[in-house]
Amino acid sequence: MTVISHITCPVCGDFCDDIEVTVEDNVITDVKNACAVGAARFLNYATHRRTKPLIRKDGELVEASLDEAIRKSAEILADATYPLLFGWSSTSCEATRVGLELAEEVGGVIDNTSTICHGPSILGIQDIGISSCTLGQLRHRADLIFYWGSNPWDAHPRHIERYTMFTEGRFQRSTWRKYVSRLGGTVTEKRLQRTANLLLDHHPPTPIETGQGLPYTMFQKKRKMVVADVRKTRTAEAADYFLQVEPNRDYELLQAFRMLIRDGELDVEEVAGVPVELLEEVADVMIGCELGVFFFGLGLTMSEGRHRNIDAALSLVRDLNQYTKFLIMPMRGHFNVTGANVVFTWQTGYPFAVDLSQGFPRYNPGETSTIDILRRRESDAALVIGSDPLAHFPKKTAQNLIKNPLIAIDPELTPTTLMADVVIPPAYVGIEAEGTAYRMDHVPLPLKKIVDPPETCLSDEEILRRILNEVRRIRRKLN
Amino acid sequence: MIILTPKRSFTVPVGGECISPDTFAAKSTSEMANLPVWEGNKKRALGHLFRIELKTAPSESLTIRIRGDAGRIRRIGAKMSSGRIVIEGNAGMHLGEEMNGGAITVVGNAGSWAGSRMKKGTIEIKGDAGHYIGAAYRGSNKGMNGGAITIYGNAGNEVGCFMRKGLIKIHGDVGQFTGIHMKNGTIYIGGDSEVRAGAQMLGGKIVVLGRIPSILPTFTIDDIKSRVKIDGEKVEGPFYRFLGDLAENGNGKLFISQKQNTHLTPCERFL
Repeated sequence: MTVISHITCPVCGDFCDDIEVTVEDNVITDVKNACAVGAARFLNYATHRRTKPLIRKDGELVEASLDEAIRKSAEILADATYPLLFGWSSTSCEATRVGLELAEEVGGVIDNTSTICHGPSILGIQDIGISSCTLGQLRHRADLIFYWGSNPWDAHPRHIERYTMFTEGRFQRSTWRKYVSRLGGTVTEKRLQRTANLLLDHHPPTPIETGQGLPYTMFQKKRKMVVADVRKTRTAEAADYFLQVEPNRDYELLQAFRMLIRDGELDVEEVAGVPVELLEEVADVMIGCELGVFFFGLGLTMSEGRHRNIDAALSLVRDLNQYTKFLIMPMRGHFNVTGANVVFTWQTGYPFAVDLSQGFPRYNPGETSTIDILRRRESDAALVIGSDPLAHFPKKTAQNLIKNPLIAIDPELTPTTLMADVVIPPAYVGIEAEGTAYRMDHVPLPLKKIVDPPETCLSDEEILRRILNEVRRIRRKLN
Repeated sequence: MIILTPKRSFTVPVGGECISPDTFAAKSTSEMANLPVWEGNKKRALGHLFRIELKTAPSESLTIRIRGDAGRIRRIGAKMSSGRIVIEGNAGMHLGEEMNGGAITVVGNAGSWAGSRMKKGTIEIKGDAGHYIGAAYRGSNKGMNGGAITIYGNAGNEVGCFMRKGLIKIHGDVGQFTGIHMKNGTIYIGGDSEVRAGAQMLGGKIVVLGRIPSILPTFTIDDIKSRVKIDGEKVEGPFYRFLGDLAENGNGKLFISQKQNTHLTPCERFL
């Protein structure tokens, strides 16, 4: 039995680096410090995995050797006129680097999953700029935490515990005691309400908490949390104040805040369903904090307005810095989506949606982004790594993806691998293979190898390197 | 006149930067046929993709006529400074990008980024157009800086994004964020507009003749005008005149038809 500590968790953008695992006979038997999602990943990663490559022959996926699968993949990519290479957020930076080399060699479009999550954040940052920092700084200093369109309680389960409200910072105290006592009160209140409803057979609608003024905790010189979202999530329940925004009206609200923090007057009584008097109070709290941080998630990037919502949020933070210190950070999803952006940028100058078809990088989301290329049915082959677009893309784009040859590098049985023409199962990076990944605040951390992979499974980097070498061999032969 | 007829339909994007009167000027048909064109990742000759016919001797103000669908051909007329291009079908993205003179007419629809960063000249689109008409390049704050774009159909989002000068006339409807970040110039919308017109604008003028669901809270009503002048031409109103975007300390003007937007009547109490 071996206990390995300081493992990084290859699940969400928080990329926790304090995981401890116990390994017995090359099997992970116990995990400490991880959240439920992380623990499930370490303990069950191999439950449904494939270990042998597959190739589609006569309409059926049949087992093949690794060499055969690599040769077939290289042939598909070398023949293509406009291939698409998508995924990259759940693999290591080293694999992404080889992927970019491959994209350049085959003259394809390479895009990572930012294109359907925080791509709008990147567009906003390119237009406005960003004032950001590392999570360590926030942990010690931030006294106002703003989550907008983000639910870390469920999506980044240890974010609040490690970096914001429930962490003991050097200059800011943890608020977990306050939360536990309030939770007790909330649970009792809910139970009483439920009992009353059952007895009276009466189901009153939940009142929206607006127009009631801010709670006293918002005016204390302590760490406080505000959540802005369209619905009351678990994170919102833990917040000092919840700002319920009408769906798709985030842009208006952010712009209204910008007006208010510079003492402007609004000619309306409410914005996005929130009374202006209340917004004025929240704006006062924002200006009055010592160090505020604005975390935003897909609730902002993928609601109506998209990158313009981020444009407004970044401008708001920029404006707030005239009065106090305020920072902003996107809540990145996959454990290495930030790394994919970093490696893309360092290699090509652009963070996602890079078109290398003419031998030099071009970037224009809307034109060179995966969803748009597939919607217009422009690509004629695709390689997908560490992603399941068929399960997540809009129907038409998913249909167009499988009309052309598809290569999937993924150990799981997913809709994408089931519809692919070549499936190559790799070793799990961060469990069976080492590498590097970037946390959501752009801090690079190592991915460790904990157990040995099956003999037939190579790392993503090695698989891509072999495909690249094979493509080069085919090209040399043709020339 | 030079007539280009596609030899087949295209699936992957074709880079049509060379389809410009400036490039074709003083070239023989065979020289034109040898101009390089990218079809996806394959470098081809223009003559490989198009049949090229020369009707008259090429001159400074020559006309290029594309017969057929050019919906996958991007950057037609990019950086052109004179002459004329007529597309008898659809045109792809970036039509007339950084155009510096001359005229382009599209009989069908045009893709997104038509007239982006253009400086002079005219673009006329008889059908619909995509998003980012007369806009800036991603990350740049320098959009259209002169010239005129006329669209007889509808257009998408972010028309005139970061626009600095010039005129965009859309006779149909438009999407969201018309004139976002615009600094100067005029946008005329004959049909309806979706929300957030004039967002973060610093200056310039947007006129909406149709209905708009709402005005951003960061705009303030200033006046009711009986008419508005667009490029020397008077358009009869009455129009609500809003000023903004105040979140940016902007001084842009939003003229919204009073008759078509009775839901904005409560704003009149602030006059």
